[in-house]
Amino acid sequence: MSVGKKENSGKLRQRFPSKNHSPEISAVANEKEDLKKQDDNTSSVKSDSKYCNLFGYVLVPLLLTVIAGFVRTWHIADSPIVVWDEAHFGKFASYYLKHEFYFDVHPPLGKMLNAVAGKLVGYDGHFGFDSGATYPENMNYKFMRLWNAVFGTFCIPLAYYSAINFGYSFWSASLIGLMIALDNHLATISRFILLDSMLLFFILSTFFALSRFHVYRKQPFSFYWFKWLALTGICVGCVCSVKLVGLFITAVVGIYTVDELFRLLNNKKVTWTAYAGHWLTRIIFLIILPFLIYALTFWIQFLVLSKSGPGDAQMPSLFQARLEGSPLTKNPVDLMYGSKFTLKSRNPAGALLHSHIQTFPGGSKQQQVTGYHHKDGNNEWVFLPEHGVNYNFEENDPKIPIKEGSLVRLVHPFTNRNLHTHQIPAPLNKRMYEVSGYGLGDIGDEKDYWVVKIVSDAAHKDASSVRSLSTVFQLYNPIMECYLSSSTSSLPAWGFGQIEMYCDPNTDAKDIDTHWNVEEHINPRLPEGSLKDYPNSFWNDFLHLNRAMLRANNGLVPDEDKLDALRSSAYQWPFLLATLRMCGWGDEQIKYLLIGNPIAYWFATASLFGFALFIVGSILGWRRHALRWNEKTFDAVHFAGFYPFLGWFMNYLPFYIMGRVLYVHHYEPSYAFSTFTAGFMVDWFAQKLPRVARITVYLMLYVIITAVFIYFKDVTFGMHGPSSNFHHLRWLKSWNVHD
Amino acid sequence: MKPTVTDKSGKKNQKSSKQKGSASRPSSPSPSPSSPSPSSSPTPKKAAESSSIPHVVSSSGSGPGSFFNKKLQFWKLHIPNEVVFDEVHFGKFASYYLQGKYFFDLHPPFAKLALAFVAWCAGYDGHYLFDNIGDRYKDHGVPYVSIRSWPALLSSFVPPLVFLIMKESGYELPACLVSACLVLFDNAHVTEGRLILLDATLIFSMVAAVYCYVRFFKLRHSPFSRAWWSWLFLTGICLSCTISTKYVGTFTFLSIGLSVCLELWYLWDIKTGLPIKQFASHFLARFFCLIVFPFALYLFWFFLHFKFLPTSGPGDSFMSLQFQETLDENPITANATGLNYYDIVTIKHMGTNSFLHSHPDKYPIPYDDGRISSGGQQVTGYPFEDDNNYWMVLPHNHYADPKYKPNMPVRNTDYIKLHHVGTNTDLMTHDVASPYHPTNEEFTTTSVDESAGAKHDFTVFQIMINDETAPDRKVFTKSMSFKLIHKLTNVAMWSDPKPLPDWGFKQQEINGAKNIQTGAILWMFDDIIGLPEERVNKEKRVPKKLSFFKKYLELQLVMFRQNNLLTESHPYSSTPLDWFTLHHGIAFWAKNEENKQIYLLGNPIGWWLIGGIVITTTVVASAEILLHQRGIVTLLPSVRNHFYRSIMFFYATYMFHYLPFFLMGRQLFLHHYLPAQVAGAMLCGAFIQLACMKSFHLPVSPGAKQPNDVDSHGYAKSLRRNGYIIQVLTSLGLISVLSYCFVFFAPMTYGNASLSVPEWLRRKWLDSWIFQYQK
Repeated sequence: MSVGKKENSGKLRQRFPSKNHSPEISAVANEKEDLKKQDDNTSSVKSDSKYCNLFGYVLVPLLLTVIAGFVRTWHIADSPIVVWDEAHFGKFASYYLKHEFYFDVHPPLGKMLNAVAGKLVGYDGHFGFDSGATYPENMNYKFMRLWNAVFGTFCIPLAYYSAINFGYSFWSASLIGLMIALDNHLATISRFILLDSMLLFFILSTFFALSRFHVYRKQPFSFYWFKWLALTGICVGCVCSVKLVGLFITAVVGIYTVDELFRLLNNKKVTWTAYAGHWLTRIIFLIILPFLIYALTFWIQFLVLSKSGPGDAQMPSLFQARLEGSPLTKNPVDLMYGSKFTLKSRNPAGALLHSHIQTFPGGSKQQQVTGYHHKDGNNEWVFLPEHGVNYNFEENDPKIPIKEGSLVRLVHPFTNRNLHTHQIPAPLNKRMYEVSGYGLGDIGDEKDYWVVKIVSDAAHKDASSVRSLSTVFQLYNPIMECYLSSSTSSLPAWGFGQIEMYCDPNTDAKDIDTHWNVEEHINPRLPEGSLKDYPNSFWNDFLHLNRAMLRANNGLVPDEDKLDALRSSAYQWPFLLATLRMCGWGDEQIKYLLIGNPIAYWFATASLFGFALFIVGSILGWRRHALRWNEKTFDAVHFAGFYPFLGWFMNYLPFYIMGRVLYVHHYEPSYAFSTFTAGFMVDWFAQKLPRVARITVYLMLYVIITAVFIYFKDVTFGMHGPSSNFHHLRWLKSWNVHD
Repeated sequence: MKPTVTDKSGKKNQKSSKQKGSASRPSSPSPSPSSPSPSSSPTPKKAAESSSIPHVVSSSGSGPGSFFNKKLQFWKLHIPNEVVFDEVHFGKFASYYLQGKYFFDLHPPFAKLALAFVAWCAGYDGHYLFDNIGDRYKDHGVPYVSIRSWPALLSSFVPPLVFLIMKESGYELPACLVSACLVLFDNAHVTEGRLILLDATLIFSMVAAVYCYVRFFKLRHSPFSRAWWSWLFLTGICLSCTISTKYVGTFTFLSIGLSVCLELWYLWDIKTGLPIKQFASHFLARFFCLIVFPFALYLFWFFLHFKFLPTSGPGDSFMSLQFQETLDENPITANATGLNYYDIVTIKHMGTNSFLHSHPDKYPIPYDDGRISSGGQQVTGYPFEDDNNYWMVLPHNHYADPKYKPNMPVRNTDYIKLHHVGTNTDLMTHDVASPYHPTNEEFTTTSVDESAGAKHDFTVFQIMINDETAPDRKVFTKSMSFKLIHKLTNVAMWSDPKPLPDWGFKQQEINGAKNIQTGAILWMFDDIIGLPEERVNKEKRVPKKLSFFKKYLELQLVMFRQNNLLTESHPYSSTPLDWFTLHHGIAFWAKNEENKQIYLLGNPIGWWLIGGIVITTTVVASAEILLHQRGIVTLLPSVRNHFYRSIMFFYATYMFHYLPFFLMGRQLFLHHYLPAQVAGAMLCGAFIQLACMKSFHLPVSPGAKQPNDVDSHGYAKSLRRNGYIIQVLTSLGLISVLSYCFVFFAPMTYGNASLSVPEWLRRKWLDSWIFQYQK
């Protein structure tokens, strides 16, 4: 039977000549033996490998790096103004240098690296980085930009050596290096104080470490195997600490690992003990180690940002109280009737109870009560007794504390409304009751009354009265039989994207949404408190901040009503249909446009389609026994072909699911991986050509990519003069080179 | 074996109907107008696509089961005699079909057409619009029992079909019965199947599709035979009906599609020995019967949909003006008038229905946020009739060449000026940021002198009729939407409903948006003020024609768009995770004074069992894959084969009907789980057999090669001793628990019994089930 099959398949047209069928020319030392075994491989392979040793390892990557470094630094300081998101990331660097606590959706590593650059040149953090503002005389912004350019430049050797490690030919590796080095988009974005060049650097270093690990895959538990596994883990930790987009390359590493572990399971030589060892080492190095690095960056962040700053309100009250210069440190301790305070939810959204004169568009149409994350006078509330009961709050009047079971009214001093609830469904969670601002001062009804129920106290053993910061309590509305709760979802535009508040009729005492603490407390009649030793948990703060980041990230939804020329859609990126203006477009200004090297982009995208077709065709052919690959060829397609493609896929597809605002630079990591696929496809098809033709093909590609980069050089080095001078760059109508 | 089925179900039938009889008698409020089985009228007119089913039912000996199920479905069908939950929608749609008034709905038309057809057969004329939940049908003369009997009939075929699917897939009788009973005694299926809703049709066609596919799959050893073709074709029809009922049907397509792909993958294998040509005919047969034909049928329902809805109705506003013009009696065609220069018109914003408005008040020079305006006259959107909404359309060269030519029509792509009559100024825009949008240009007006002189270029706008490029097309009021593009700065007049602050009298902002392709930039000329009598349209205009495909494409796009807008939370919406554990139900209907209600809730025991078995199957399958990779044999080859082909097919069907809901942004309800629940029921039966007997009766398909690990009775050799008895006992236990639980929760399924508060509380197993009763 099997013999017959072989004959059968032998008769079928061979799709790939068996001679020289392997696209990969590996120069890695420990694979040389394999190479020697391939006797039928022609001399071209051998001479190629000689090239690799001489040029391939030193000269070519060096040359590519120099080219990349040149295009990323040439005239880097021409534009003395704050360009694009320098306004954000420059500002964040400043906060580190000023040690002020701020809040942002991205993890800290990339921003801290920018701060390091600032520190190195003695920048003190006092420039505001307003969009479009000119840098002050004495500020060395050039160095901070160069610092980013260095990260951008080192992407090229990483990509080059990754390709070599995965067995690409030296010609293809050079092509990949060149496509990344001379991509106008990558070159442009590496020239400013942003996170993008660092992100790509860490993504490619992860891929590089993985490729080295791949080289040593057949010597498990050797020193180099451990070394590169650990380095892969470290890189994964770093890339996730720059932007959460790093999770996509982490997924690639994860799939590689699962793939390998699944194949190992089939290998009877691997004992169960060894197999468990494989699992254990990977769990330690690829899960625990990266996580520790991620947490470490936050630990440093908390250490460095020791002063009160604009991000305070995102954090739990007790965290804020520890920040230097926070007003909370002077809070009087015990709350009394007549105290003015802000009320912070203990749930992950952690919003402050807020109200403003705008009314609900539906429901009761009364004044909105929402949750707000920033300091604002409208967050203030006052504890008062029931309607008709008058306490005086003069200097010598009795001070009546708020205790367990106290019946209180919460009055919003700015608008003089009472916190009120009633049997009207809340705007989003229709099972809950709406909470609104109702009545006016002393006019109101008994649905304005709330009972204080204390849950716990973090600093005092006796938890019978409400103390600022430390007491966790609930507010229970006895008429409606519900608890004041904070939701985690945001209101639509009419509520300014603030958090929804409601009164929850079916809940139990453990529900964290119903837990509150007093954050700021103002009562001139009481003595200033002094900061006690509140329990301090790094992991709590870490978790809280991460949840807040995720929520803020999800909050970055595009406002459909705002016609924003900067935004783009994911489908536009691979075809280079969208561009992005990084600064104002005045005639006098030096203008930078984010646009890829069109030929490189289109070539890479075409290769992706080609690769997909090639894979489908190969699988169908394999099933018909029309495919004659040996193990080496199969491995080449499996690793050198499939994993970069997966890298492209994993870094691209999630953007279709994401609801947030998208910009062209989100495609950068995907583009980098698509150049690998391009290199692979050229390798695969060019190897069948005669040597001269093959080299000609490569040289032509090099020349075209370089020429197109030069043609578009102004978008990278800065467009001087009116934009109408650059009509020739507008190949597609959708590229907004000029108005 | 067969007699036992009959016996068992027959006995149960008697027993449970007795129980129910006793439960209902004291409480039935009004004598029913007809016997509770009014299937007489709709049954013969059943749609052609299910013609094979009665034959199957009778031939396979589950007739009594089916009867029993009819009993469950039809029993007390007239209760409640009021509008329940979404009957508000689907009843209304049936009425619209009968009235011929165009309406819009998110779901494809098939099931709604069928409901309307049944209603028409019952002699209903569609006069009542099912306005509120709790309206009494009798007050409106709706033959609701007959209409409800159609979904009830379809729904009552589901358990027999499940039984047959299991039987055809080669499972033992107890396994088949467990699967069927998980659906039969499911309160949610019964509740949904008794009311004027789409789910009965959906689930029936889904289960029928699976049944036909299983039959088709079993014939794979005699391809291209007549039976093979028939079952393939029937699969296509059923799939088409599923997707034409609700788009959840896509998941049925995916489940069966995956299986078909695997089949083709097997056929493509060179070891199967098919020449390419023969493979191509396999492929084409499936492609045609499972994709092309179902799609054509799907389109056919839309064809009928347009055919039966010729008149303008409540759905007009969802559609484009071109579409609306095709409807009889549409106000647009009736009132459309050609626009001439020097006409005074009102201009309405599409989407917000506000009029372009201006008044002498100026923009405040510094805004609250410190930005600066031009201080020019305000141009706003105002939703009410007002003299300040009047604009005169001037040719762009009016001031240079002020010759009045009567009856000069305005044409597409013309350059015009808009003259504000009330303040004697001309509309303009310039590169000044608008009040709310720094990226957009401010709209204001300028004096006639300036418009004639220095500011001429700022006041010239171009009319671009939406979706119309011909430059000579005359502009009509009401029937056309257009964009107003500013010639100098290339922005489009734009508006949104956000009110301006007090200085703008809370009217809405109008500005120039840089995106001139999409967005809220469409406007319409509404009324011509002081239209001379001779230009008023007198004769009745014939509605325009639009090709079916254009109409279909437009409707399809609007349906998808509207579906994505359904994101608002609903008091009874739930999340997919809630379904798995039956965390929430839906209050369909309640009569508080009598303490009666209908609350949609599955049979908790059944649902929790399904949930548990889904998790167990996941674990078992993953473990098997890993062990197999290691070369450790846990299942005999033939058992393994059956496990992956049949049990995992049910598993995949479950997952395809469940997991995608996690990705959906729209509001979800408990009844979205029902298709997955049916698949889960089949999985349960199959898994129980695997667990109890560790063996199957093989081979299942006629013509298949006898596996060599099968004993002389046809069972795989791994058969557990006494396995069959264990299975029978397990199944009997399960079925009795399920039926008890069903009866226990029956009052909220049928809404027939007044229970006291403690009785309701006894049924409140989870705190999250919110029953309504008087305390």
